[in-house]
Amino acid sequence: MFNTSYGQEKVTLSGYIKDSNSGENLIAAVMRIPALNLSTYSNNYGFYSVSVPPGTYEVQISFVGYANKVDSIQVNADLRKDFEITSKSSVIEEIVVTGKKEDDHVTSAQMGNMKFTMEELKNIPVVFGEKDILKTIQLLPGVSTGGEGSSNFYVRGGGGDQNLILLDEATVYNASHLLGFFSTFNSDAIKDASLYKGGIPAQYGGRISSVMDISMLDGNNKKFSGEGGLGLIASRLKLEGPLVKDRSSFMISGRRTYADLFLKLSPDETTKSSKLYFYDLNAKMNYKLNDRNTLYLSGYFGKDDLGYGDLFGFDWGNATATVRWNSVINSQLFSNTSLIYSDFNYNVDVNSDETKFTIASKIRNWNLKQDFSYYSNNNNTLRFGVNVLHQQIKPASIAAKEDSDINSITVDNRQGIEASAYVSHEWKPTDKLSLIYGLRLSDFMVMGPGSFFEFDADGEPTSESYFENVVAKHYFNLEPRLSLSYAFNPENSVKASFNRISQNLHQLTNTTSSLPTDQYVVSSLNIKPQIADQAAIGYFRTFQDNMYEFSVETYYKYMHNQIDFRNGADLQANKYMEGDLLYGVGRSYGAEFLMRKNKGRLSGWLSYTLAKSERQFDQINEGNWFNARQDRTHDISLVGIYQLSKKWTLGATFVYYTGNAITFPSGKYQVDGKTLFYYTERNGYRMPDYHRLDLSITYEPKKENKKFHSSWAFGVYNAYNRKNAYIIDFRENEQNPNITEAYRIALFGAIPSVTWNFKF
Amino acid sequence: MQKQTIYSILIFLTVVFFSSCEDIIDIDLNSSDPKVVIVADLNNEEKSHAIFVSKSVNFDDPKPNEPVLDAEVYIRLGNGKTFYFTSVGEGRYINPDLPISVGESYTLTVVVDGEEYQSTTTMLAYIEVDSIGVNQETIFNEDFFFVNFKFFDPSGQENYYRYSMSINGSPMKFNAIFSDKFNDGNEVTHQLGREDGNDIKPGDSLLIRRQIVTKEVYNYWAEYSQTNPGSAAPGNPTSNISNGALGYFSVSSVRDYPVGIDKASQG
Repeated sequence: MFNTSYGQEKVTLSGYIKDSNSGENLIAAVMRIPALNLSTYSNNYGFYSVSVPPGTYEVQISFVGYANKVDSIQVNADLRKDFEITSKSSVIEEIVVTGKKEDDHVTSAQMGNMKFTMEELKNIPVVFGEKDILKTIQLLPGVSTGGEGSSNFYVRGGGGDQNLILLDEATVYNASHLLGFFSTFNSDAIKDASLYKGGIPAQYGGRISSVMDISMLDGNNKKFSGEGGLGLIASRLKLEGPLVKDRSSFMISGRRTYADLFLKLSPDETTKSSKLYFYDLNAKMNYKLNDRNTLYLSGYFGKDDLGYGDLFGFDWGNATATVRWNSVINSQLFSNTSLIYSDFNYNVDVNSDETKFTIASKIRNWNLKQDFSYYSNNNNTLRFGVNVLHQQIKPASIAAKEDSDINSITVDNRQGIEASAYVSHEWKPTDKLSLIYGLRLSDFMVMGPGSFFEFDADGEPTSESYFENVVAKHYFNLEPRLSLSYAFNPENSVKASFNRISQNLHQLTNTTSSLPTDQYVVSSLNIKPQIADQAAIGYFRTFQDNMYEFSVETYYKYMHNQIDFRNGADLQANKYMEGDLLYGVGRSYGAEFLMRKNKGRLSGWLSYTLAKSERQFDQINEGNWFNARQDRTHDISLVGIYQLSKKWTLGATFVYYTGNAITFPSGKYQVDGKTLFYYTERNGYRMPDYHRLDLSITYEPKKENKKFHSSWAFGVYNAYNRKNAYIIDFRENEQNPNITEAYRIALFGAIPSVTWNFKF
Repeated sequence: MQKQTIYSILIFLTVVFFSSCEDIIDIDLNSSDPKVVIVADLNNEEKSHAIFVSKSVNFDDPKPNEPVLDAEVYIRLGNGKTFYFTSVGEGRYINPDLPISVGESYTLTVVVDGEEYQSTTTMLAYIEVDSIGVNQETIFNEDFFFVNFKFFDPSGQENYYRYSMSINGSPMKFNAIFSDKFNDGNEVTHQLGREDGNDIKPGDSLLIRRQIVTKEVYNYWAEYSQTNPGSAAPGNPTSNISNGALGYFSVSSVRDYPVGIDKASQG
């Protein structure tokens, strides 16, 4: 009976694992039946399925930040059983710990994956006190920040556009607000986030460096409740509750900044009438058709708006919408069908004297997806599916207004269709060995209508061909994926992974801070899909009954068809823009160490990354390999959270990293009375080392009544006021123009923050 | 233009809302091998034509460049006629006789230490200015003066305009570069001012030089202008001179315009 036998007497136990207070489905909650030495976890929609011989079993359910639950279940025939577990934060007697599901660290086959629940983010200090998932992941090994206060990130030396950021399966094109200081993810609305930096499973594709899969809350289906906060920069409010008891619920969450209110204090009229704000709106609704079928409807809408009087207006934002149908076809077969829409657009409006025009650009996709999970037995899970994604880019077009001295320019839309199919097998052949292997096949079809150009070596157009609404070119890619783990015992394992991924959407960035106006292109006759091959190997271990965990992972990644520009590239409203692009390769490798303490009053982690990331283009740097801008030799993060008492929690983070690679001049010369700088080597220099300490204190008074609960979060960003260089530039000395000097601009000094949060 | 605007907004944002600050720091920069720099900006306004030949110096050198005194410098016209330039010190090479005429083709040759550098360009016709005006704008509570050149851009051809400015008799300095990419064939206004260190004040007397330049010269100065601390990878502006020389060669139609900034215009 304790052996895994394939006899016919087996029956299936399946269902959902949920939060007992809100009824939210929980992702990757662990279910264990000790008598059978069996463990499984819920899928992305909270569903689990196991096969067991008929009998009565003790079932244990556990999940990050939740109290373990033990239940005795009698299974005589196929049984549908939903489990509910209770969040520790609502059990006030217990000290909240941050952590993740136990043992999984060592035994799961998946490698290079980190999960977060929003509970874990609460005590980690961040700039302006706005807790932010995209900033917290930057504290993990292998993930480096896009810059001071930035929500942009780089994974294992890859580019900023190589991260697939999904919100309820919809691609979020531009995950940042206010030029990167905030991410588009309002943490109130988020249930769970999972980051893959290697060994990426076959169900994901389209970006070569990482996958950040974020799920929105479904909405409390037990009672009506609200949550919100007032901060220095932004305020938030979330409402959720049942629509039809136990059948349907909703969640709606909004956030808006009010930095622009300070503009009203300005004595200058134009400044007074200026705009500077962003807002986010997340909404979700679900409807349980019956025990087997549930419909979900979710959407996100966010917008940034900058304006200087009537002279200049600039707004941008993302919108996503997901319709999802979860179906339990039978106790072993689970189906998810999604129809997804996502867009990003920006608009510029200029009204100065004689120059009056608007610029509009939009990128969008439609995606139809069908996924199946088949739980054949406890040692075999098969995932397979197909999807078709239609990608369209409307490059910036210029529309002149009346009496304007400029002309309207329209640039052809670009479009492509990516059709993919995948199969992935999660298999546990022995107690010690488990693996996930799979294959993804993608066909990217470059679509007309549009003119396609060929270019010579200097980037001058040599020929033009026009395609109607037909396929101009196919790019087929076969992408093998593998992740395996060998556990010597429950405390020790080694893991290895390999993945090949292709990417057909490329972002052209030629500034250090990513701007909303950065242009996107799809693969075309000239632009080939980016392809990355990554291999990784690691050692994982836990100590003292999962109190501590340790891991070291090393990786090597090779990137094909990387894109850069010629000097002085003209990317705007230029139909020959592709002639200004250069193609090369990239490689990155490194070692990542993570030591984590999961239990006790003090929790947190120490992460250290030693890495290298380089690029090679025949036309740049004389064809020699050069450091990628985001190449950082050392990157250290230390996160500590200390539970002082039931009411007070202290948090601290310290980061230190080698400065970015950067191009500085090595000489100077004079042209027409101006000093020009002579550059010799691409990214041959370093910004100064960066380090910073952030502190936070959270005060949670005792729940005075059941109806209303509030808490305070105080923080200091950059506590010792370190002047980290944001920009270094060079200029002639004012007294003596013959002398040239370097100066730095530091962005943030010490910034205090306070936020008042409430729940009802 | 758009990038520039957005970049200045980024800077504005950071200055206004965050406690950003600026200070002088020491950066240890590598030394570089001296590179030949040739600046030959010839035009119809100058009586004597001058070409500058120098070498780049290390960043921390207390001098701006290293003049080359013994270069061989000559220009050959389309008909093969050759004009030699003589060294007059400080890297300056002059020839008062070179004919400057629209449509003429000029080939520049400079020989330094046995290495030959070459470039060929053509002189383009001048595009007349319709009117010149001065206006004042208040931006973020500061007053700025702008000089506006109004003119008709010839349609159906690419035109490139370069402006330099001398304030109260100071040496001419590059001010702005324009193309007609977005306003071909229109009545166009070019607005000058606000270039680093060129801030115009009431009572100033300006001399503005307006040049009609080739695409290569436009690219050179456009690349120079686009290099700002936010650039991902600043590079050397693409020169139209061969063999890796820095600098550029231009023969252009030029007109100089004196412009006075009225004291009364300060409001």
